[in-house]
Amino acid sequence: MNSKFSRRNVLKVAGGGVAMAALGMPSILRAQGSFPDRPINIVVPFDTGGYNDRLARAFAPFLQEALGQPLTIINRGGAGALLGHTFFLQQPDDGYTILCTSAAPYIPLNMLTQNAEFTLEDFYMVNLPSQDYTLLATSADSDIQSIDDVITRLKEDPTSLSVGLQPASADLVNFSILCEANDIDFEATRMVTYDGGGPARNATAGGVVDIGLVGGEGFLPLAEQIRPLLTFDSRQRDNWEGAIVTDVLGAETDFVVGSQRGWGLHGSMQESNPEAFQILVQAIETASKNPAAIEALTTQQLATDWYGPEESNQMLARTAAVMEQYIDLLQGQ
Amino acid sequence: MIELNAVSGAFALLSSDINAWLYLLPGLVIGLVFGAMPGISITMAMAFALPATLYMDFLPAIIFLTAIYTGAGFGGSVPAVLMGIPGTSSAVATTFDGYPMARKGEHNQALGVALASSVFGCLVSYLLLFFLIAPVSSVVLKLGPLEMFAVAVWGMLLLGSLAGRHMSRGLLAGVFGVLLGTIGMNTAGFIRGTMGVPWLLDGIPQIPAMMGLLAASQLIGLINTTYLIEDEGSRKISFSKILSGLKTAFVYPTIILRGSVIGVVIGAIPGVGSSISNLLSYSETKRNAPDGDTFGQGNPKGVIAAESANSSSEGGAMATMLALGIPGGGATAILLAAFAMHNIVGGPSFIANNKDIVYALIFSNFAQAILLLFVGLGFVYVASYVVRVPLRFLIPSVLVVSTFGAYAIEGSASGPITLWIFSVLGWAMVRYGYPVAAAVVGLLLGSLLEGNLLRTNQISGGDFISYGLERPWALLIFALMIGSIIMQALSKRKKLKQAAENSESRSASEAS
Repeated sequence: MNSKFSRRNVLKVAGGGVAMAALGMPSILRAQGSFPDRPINIVVPFDTGGYNDRLARAFAPFLQEALGQPLTIINRGGAGALLGHTFFLQQPDDGYTILCTSAAPYIPLNMLTQNAEFTLEDFYMVNLPSQDYTLLATSADSDIQSIDDVITRLKEDPTSLSVGLQPASADLVNFSILCEANDIDFEATRMVTYDGGGPARNATAGGVVDIGLVGGEGFLPLAEQIRPLLTFDSRQRDNWEGAIVTDVLGAETDFVVGSQRGWGLHGSMQESNPEAFQILVQAIETASKNPAAIEALTTQQLATDWYGPEESNQMLARTAAVMEQYIDLLQGQ
Repeated sequence: MIELNAVSGAFALLSSDINAWLYLLPGLVIGLVFGAMPGISITMAMAFALPATLYMDFLPAIIFLTAIYTGAGFGGSVPAVLMGIPGTSSAVATTFDGYPMARKGEHNQALGVALASSVFGCLVSYLLLFFLIAPVSSVVLKLGPLEMFAVAVWGMLLLGSLAGRHMSRGLLAGVFGVLLGTIGMNTAGFIRGTMGVPWLLDGIPQIPAMMGLLAASQLIGLINTTYLIEDEGSRKISFSKILSGLKTAFVYPTIILRGSVIGVVIGAIPGVGSSISNLLSYSETKRNAPDGDTFGQGNPKGVIAAESANSSSEGGAMATMLALGIPGGGATAILLAAFAMHNIVGGPSFIANNKDIVYALIFSNFAQAILLLFVGLGFVYVASYVVRVPLRFLIPSVLVVSTFGAYAIEGSASGPITLWIFSVLGWAMVRYGYPVAAAVVGLLLGSLLEGNLLRTNQISGGDFISYGLERPWALLIFALMIGSIIMQALSKRKKLKQAAENSESRSASEAS
């Protein structure tokens, strides 16, 4: 071999080149102007057609307007949002990847039941406009007329009614709270577990199960086929009739809110990219308060209320704390 | 049940807006092309087109999307017939007889048969939808876990037909498939068999696994062959043979009708849909056919049964979506999203207030089905040139396209990895004489079986018998199933007896 370049020298040069490029990259990016100077990805950790997907797609045009860069929606469904959340955190925290998710219950659930390698602090919720709630309902042609009927029957015989719900859900926690408050043997009840809100609602509406506890917003299209009995919130929601949990169990009662959905960023962005962080938070606020956005989203039954980062992160932390109390229940033990 | 006012309103809607018709053709073509690509599902084709519909009026938007739905429903059958790769999970049963037909050099006829059955199935399903939208939807919600379990068991009966020479190996392969189907988080929230891999939490990715088992394993087995069809003379692309295939389909109206009814009913059940209906229809047809033994070796009846059922599931799924506002599967979820984009909420009130739109949709789907016949003919003609590609080019390209498809459908390397693992597994199964198709059926039905058996247990508190007696529909399904098996056994015995008598009389005449 009589080459001018020894292998070692080639490697040295190549290594140096890589190092130079690595050093040079950020300055090249910075030179191109202020954030954002290229399209931004929105990660939706659910498949197309669900609430978060619809929210992201409906909100994107307005956020795009506020940011001045196009947005691309990436659906990463699977494993109760664990795959999507992990994928999001694997992306650089430069603000070019943002998240639209059901922060509660999925982030706490990923942590409590799926050994996720992230914590609540890895996420920063800019705004969680959609606040779902558990609705306890029965089929419209059922002989159960009120929540008192349900409580009386379950007290008498906990196996008298079959209960449709999703495993490891806010609804399950709420049902256990209802049982505990009324001395109903929770363990003895006939719980029927469904793989998603949709199937559980269908079973409730069709009278396959006697009562069902599922997220209330999703019940809206089935409103004519169900009889709402109890809303797990401190106020009436979506004009559902029936009782409100704070009236039935007292104002001090615990309950878990349902899905809290909205917009999130990398928690680490506050330190690593404070400028981009501020720009994104402001853009989401501007778009959320845009009257055209509010009109467009309201007609699609999507939420746009602005709660802001402080309240949103607090709400999520509060939910996570209540869920942690019921960790055994959520883990299915 | 049909309101003439609304019907004339529907005609007025369709004739007033030329846009409603403009999108039919592009929709069908997009659907056909996407559906024919292995791994690109009907849902993905529709999701891809969804943003474009934002700028259309409501009716043209929905017609465009349903045209893609119809096109993709048939598109999946083209690779199923030509290469044994089900383009979508609803074309699994099409491969059972369609692919053997193609290998025998009857690819023209097979595609013709598939096209005609699809068109006819689609027409029948929308016709049924037209009459039955209200009653079907009231039944659908009342179906409980026991009924669904019965449907799943019915599908499992197919194992008996797929077993091939050794029944024991067929059952073993089927059980293996069911076990694979139960990997992941079950309906009660317990996680089994994921080996700590988060990508397995939702179970083994079905479509990549299926493509690997059915297709790649076949292709690897063909490595020593030069062409898909060995006889050079049979490799012709003949329009007249495609047409004769079209005619063949209509020789068996009972099979098409049975397939269509099964397709509509199963398609209407949320969460079951066309991937199960084609299996059920195939297995029923095989059981009732006098020449059931030749199924799996390229009997056109098998193709008819599978195709009429998978395309008619569209009508069933639409019935549930329109009447109840709930999606039966991915495709109808996209349609509902399109509804939402135009600020329309599906459900009982939508039907009550917008009968004319519902009928307009139904009529435009009739038109789609008829147009599919012509567009499909052209598409099939072009696609069948695949048989003239030497396998040394075809096999690697198909494997590459399948890999891309598997990546596209999962959005991560988990798709291709699944594809490769199952290709090797499929090859090994073929090599050692285990029927791959039985494992696929088990895989498709595993979670349905397990989830519904578990829910039946939960809902009945363990008392299956008294709960079962309260569920007349489930009893009816089980009764039909048992009846069908007994009928088959009886006819088989009769045949054996006849054969015995024939040989006796023959030997008697010989003796005399």
